[in-house]
Amino acid sequence: MIRFENVFLRYDTGISLRDLDFTIDKDEFVYLYGDSGSGKSSILKMIYMDLFPNTGTVDVLGSDSSNIKRRDIAKIRQRIGMVFQDFYLLSDRDIYSNIALPLELQGIKADVVRSKVTLKADQLGIRSRLSHYPHELSAGEQQRVALARAMVNAPDILLADEPIAHLDEKAAAEVLKYIWEIHEAGTSVIFATHNKSLIKKDPARVMTLVSGEVVKDRQL
Amino acid sequence: MKLSYIIREGIIGIKRSRMPFMISVFSVTIALLVVGLGVLAVDNSLQFLGEFQADYDLEIFLENEATAYQKHELAAIVKDYPGIFRMDYLSKEDAAALYNAEFGEDVLSLLDDNPLPSSFRITFEEDHRSADYILSFIQNMNELDGVDEVIFKKDLFNRVQGIMQLVYTVATITLFLIILSTVFLTASNLRLMILARYEFIETVRLLGASDFLVKAPFFLEGGILGFLGASLSVLLIILAEYGIKYYIHLDLPVKIMDHPELILGLILFGVSLSSLGVLKAVRKMLRFVA
Repeated sequence: MIRFENVFLRYDTGISLRDLDFTIDKDEFVYLYGDSGSGKSSILKMIYMDLFPNTGTVDVLGSDSSNIKRRDIAKIRQRIGMVFQDFYLLSDRDIYSNIALPLELQGIKADVVRSKVTLKADQLGIRSRLSHYPHELSAGEQQRVALARAMVNAPDILLADEPIAHLDEKAAAEVLKYIWEIHEAGTSVIFATHNKSLIKKDPARVMTLVSGEVVKDRQL
Repeated sequence: MKLSYIIREGIIGIKRSRMPFMISVFSVTIALLVVGLGVLAVDNSLQFLGEFQADYDLEIFLENEATAYQKHELAAIVKDYPGIFRMDYLSKEDAAALYNAEFGEDVLSLLDDNPLPSSFRITFEEDHRSADYILSFIQNMNELDGVDEVIFKKDLFNRVQGIMQLVYTVATITLFLIILSTVFLTASNLRLMILARYEFIETVRLLGASDFLVKAPFFLEGGILGFLGASLSVLLIILAEYGIKYYIHLDLPVKIMDHPELILGLILFGVSLSSLGVLKAVRKMLRFVA
């Protein structure tokens, strides 16, 4: 599903990623573990084709980074859900509109959008918040909204970039529980974190990054 | 339907950024108001200057002995001469009536015989209205039998033509500069409006919106903005014309309502300026967005 082949990424300030060579299969849950600046976010950005390698190739859902066109990037992103530590919710839209946006972008009919949004909001426990605006919600709720939006069109992959970094313990545990449920329902999850306790307790593959290099790949 | 998304987002975009949208509409209105008033001011100035010139450019006086056949022949020659816009024949009786109207005296009561000659009054087409062309016309006319004298007020004609040419040149350059600054000012204003929507553009790109789907609602929004701005400017020009008529008591010879092509031009200019300006701003932003 995702394949990195001899990938190097150089920034003007120096090398960011070096010699990445790995595959992530369907239905896997992978933690990308490392300190800040270790290259976790760069790997995620390469998966959703925001960054491209200087050498090597990244293959995502059958599309190759070396020859992908800009319009095809949009199609790939429709098959990838994303959550970030800063939520990326639109502050001037209510929660319903935020969750509905990926479906509306695909031209799905309004009644189908309504039923999918309601279902997802139910699953994530935010149904009562649909008419609220992001600033009226707690950080944990906002992250659940971001999760609902990421999952509303049933993507193949969920990318999570430090999604619990800004949450308190209880909210973080809740969000984590939902992400595991999403995975158990058949979605591959790639979860970037610097939280050591997380990777210790969860039964998942862990790729440890140091200075842009995968130094350890703990398979299940 | 993605079309419904585009229309809905275009309208929602306007609602959500009411203030920057209104400011942009206002800036387009002001810009097009200046352009529209500029065009009308030039048109009216040229019209006023044109009225300084006589109703006709020159007068051909005929010999008293000229026969009816000669007059008929001369009329045919003048009529067929290239560049003649209008030719009026004034008989001796017409000339006497004009004299009477102008000086309040009957020329026939002063003299036994009517001494005033018959004449042709000539007006040239706009593109043949140069002193050189008219002088060569006079030379040709003087060679014809039956022609006594050709009167052409060359100095006045040249002065008015010169002023009109100057007004036209200065106005063209000024209008060009106004339009240029209008384009730049509107474009930078629209860029600011789009910059305020960075969050939205970045988010929808991450959610899988193609460039087309990002740009299309903004394009629509720009079109609506331009249409509103241009319509408002036309409305203000009409109000200004009424104001001039009722408060300054000056009835302008050229009005915007008499020129639907100017109204259409302003609206098309406004719509294309805004929609393309918005499109350019979004395209520029997309270069920096994931």
